[in-house]
Amino acid sequence: MVQYVTLRIDGSIVKAAKGSSVLDAAIQYGICIPHLCHMPLLEDIGACRLCIVEQVGNGKSKITTSCTLRVQEGMVIQAHSEKVRRLRRNIAELLVAQAPNSRAIQDMAVRCGVKEVRYPFRNADCVLCGRCVRYCRGLAGAQSLGFVGRGKDRHVAHALELRDLCKHCGFCTANCPMSITPCAGPMAKGEEHLCGGCEAQLQITQGMEDQCVWCELGKGFDCSRHLGQ
Amino acid sequence: MPRLQELNALETERRRIVDSRQAYTTTVLICSGTGCQASRSPAVIEAFKNQLQSQRLNEKVLVRTTGCHGFCEQGPIMVLEPEGVLYCRVAPEDCREIVSRTIKKGEVLERLLYTDPASGQRIPKEKDIPFYRDQDRSLLSGNRAVDPRSLEDYIAAGGYTALTRVLAGMAPQAVVEEVTASGLRGRGGGGFPTGRKWQECREAPGEEKYVVCNADEGDPGAYMDRCVLEGNPHRVLEGMIIGAFAVGAVRGYIYVRKEYPLAVQHAKLAVQQAREYGFLGENILGSSFSFDVEVARGGGAFVCGESTALMASLEGRVGEPRPKDIHTVQEGLWNKPTLLNNVETWANIPGIITNGAAWFSAKGTAGSKGTKILALTGQVKNTGLVEVPMGTPLRKVIFDIGGGANNGKPIKAVQTGGPSGGCLPVGQFDLPVDFDALAEAGSMVGSGGMVVMDAGTCMVDVAKYFLNFLQDESCGKCVPCRIGVDRLLEIVTDFTEGKGRLEQLDLLEDLAETITETSLCGLGKTAPNPVLSTLRYFREEYLAHILEKRCPAGVCKALIQYAVDQEKCTGCGDCQRACPHGAIKGRKEEPRLIDSAKCQKCGLCFSECTFNAITVA
Ligand SMILES: Cc1cc2nc3c(=O)[nH]c(=O)nc-3n(C[C@H](O)[C@H](O)[C@H](O)COP(=O)(O)O)c2cc1C
Ligand code: SF4
Ligand code: FES
Repeated sequence: MVQYVTLRIDGSIVKAAKGSSVLDAAIQYGICIPHLCHMPLLEDIGACRLCIVEQVGNGKSKITTSCTLRVQEGMVIQAHSEKVRRLRRNIAELLVAQAPNSRAIQDMAVRCGVKEVRYPFRNADCVLCGRCVRYCRGLAGAQSLGFVGRGKDRHVAHALELRDLCKHCGFCTANCPMSITPCAGPMAKGEEHLCGGCEAQLQITQGMEDQCVWCELGKGFDCSRHLGQ
Repeated sequence: MPRLQELNALETERRRIVDSRQAYTTTVLICSGTGCQASRSPAVIEAFKNQLQSQRLNEKVLVRTTGCHGFCEQGPIMVLEPEGVLYCRVAPEDCREIVSRTIKKGEVLERLLYTDPASGQRIPKEKDIPFYRDQDRSLLSGNRAVDPRSLEDYIAAGGYTALTRVLAGMAPQAVVEEVTASGLRGRGGGGFPTGRKWQECREAPGEEKYVVCNADEGDPGAYMDRCVLEGNPHRVLEGMIIGAFAVGAVRGYIYVRKEYPLAVQHAKLAVQQAREYGFLGENILGSSFSFDVEVARGGGAFVCGESTALMASLEGRVGEPRPKDIHTVQEGLWNKPTLLNNVETWANIPGIITNGAAWFSAKGTAGSKGTKILALTGQVKNTGLVEVPMGTPLRKVIFDIGGGANNGKPIKAVQTGGPSGGCLPVGQFDLPVDFDALAEAGSMVGSGGMVVMDAGTCMVDVAKYFLNFLQDESCGKCVPCRIGVDRLLEIVTDFTEGKGRLEQLDLLEDLAETITETSLCGLGKTAPNPVLSTLRYFREEYLAHILEKRCPAGVCKALIQYAVDQEKCTGCGDCQRACPHGAIKGRKEEPRLIDSAKCQKCGLCFSECTFNAITVA
């Protein structure tokens, strides 16, 4: 028998199966917490840090990622407090400055309220969300992809150069946030910018409280709520 | 030696060892730690033993090759007991005279004595040397008492009596309570209350539990853990066995940095000896308690010292941190409850059990008890390992023990707590070595690193140095640390290159907060400390870099100009010959000129000039 616990997320009372994550519980109740590295059915690693929430209790509050936080009876979660929004916006700004040529990341930046980018743009072709690696090792059971290197040198590569472990399932590219370029096409070097084109759409949905942004923003890069349908 | 089958057997064995050594009138301690080995102590030991043999004193004099004494810059170090005479920088050639004059006739060899750099006086006795005088070497003195390869030495010095006391009649809960009452806090950096951690691990459900000793010590410049594990491995082991008994663990691991071969070797030998004697294995000392330990070599990355990364590495996976929403005392190694403590933390345990919690908590401040080993380096006269009671003011460590500035320039700041610690200015030197006080001031005790900096240091450059280290050592898993710290570095680099803009200061602070709050592990969470603390105390230096494009300490190459003071220059031409870039011109006997277009700012002319005629601005 599945056991349930009750917790509060942004003031709403939420019932969730014991052992599930706060992020899953929130999504199920239509509370949208931005996330990038999380994907249903894959192990969560807490890499992108976009899904941060404030866990309140004992007169203290702690910032932690909701994808790795397991629900507990009586938990109080603030997913959209002033502080969380500000920190999340800063993380999204770091990401979009790193990879402006990803539509998914541009969308995410808009959703997180990034209005300006205060760093010189870089043009990375990977943000190390690790979706591909975890898919490959998890669902595909192929062990073909892995992380290599540390810090700035960290990158995804075929483990031990063993390319032939690849089963050619193609899910790595299908789930890659880098694989869809912004509407107006790839930005030339030196011309990267925050596109912000979808901001108008965003404003319509923002009026609806506690609603996941059922928007077209993430076309091609579905938020996991779409995947569940 | 057969296994000791019962608790009383230890005391009998200790007496036997002590009695067998009655005939020795003198004990000579020769340091053979990693530092002194590098300065040829093995050759000294061999020469000394040969001299004893040929001068027929080998039955009267006991030679003990010990671990590090923490005064490595003076090594190899030799101490003659019971007089307590200390010789430093001993060479193999000195040994004949040491035996024939000091040991036979009691004469002190002036030339081998330590010279106090402050007074210029030679000091014969170890205890009178200022470096040692103001310390409280509760832990480090253990290194003098034992040859790390000799379990007999450890037993003779009272070793393993804490364990027998525990096994003879303390309930596991009573052990935990003793540690809690002592007020001991983790020495690995976080300062987490050790007793609380033990209690949580004890209460965690599960039959299979582990204890781990963290000897990864990745902080550049720190070597207290190496010194303790290498010099007194049984003390650490005894602490672990007691901890395992208290929480009910079946197995333990000592995770040692692979750059510490001697520590690995000594730890392995200690484990093997402890098994032979019956301090490890089935039914320890005839009791119903069984426990064993393995020594594992670390992965070699700084981040592997972080508890969850260390455990991943022990399990054979990549040493990367994982989220700690569930504590390792609940789900650690192989998801089993795991008690992980630092080397120095473990080494404190036997003393707490033997002397009682009250003895330990008598030293220190309200929130930080006992003594702490610090690695004092940088621009002070005496560098080395320093052990002081918690609560000792920084000033005392830096000026009394460290002897103050070493090259004439006034001391400006101290960087405490390792790479992710903070810089404190002279004005804050009355702060005590105390977990909470240093954290409040924007730095930390950390693992005990202490780098003293003088007026020739640029604080923006210091921040850049540590950021560079940290972004290099970041595992790269999470965004705020991997990208964020790199952006901090980018901004600070802009400052040092004269490309800084004032609004970047706000960005720096905003980003620093994001990194601190949202990073996955302690590395990221503390990575902004060097920037934040220098910004807090040396903001005017940042402003000089940004607004005036000037480096007040004359360090940041892009912002300085070398010039020749035409008044002071005698025209000797040394600088001209020294300059590898041909940037200095001038005729014989006439003041020289530096061509700023050609100057690469290497500073060779500056160090070459005997007349202080080269200026930096
Ligand atoms: C990046 C990083 C590196 C660390 N390195 C070490 C280390 O080398 N040695 C150590 O004892 N603790 C290290 N720690 C702290 C450990 O995670 C852990 O808190 C500590 O070993 C616990 O022992 P204690 O409670 O006895 O201090 C490190 C932490 C971080 C975040
Ligand atoms: S904070 Fe840094 S070291 Fe820690 S998990 Fe994140 S990237 Fe790795
Ligand atoms: S979705 Fe939780 S950290 Fe990326």
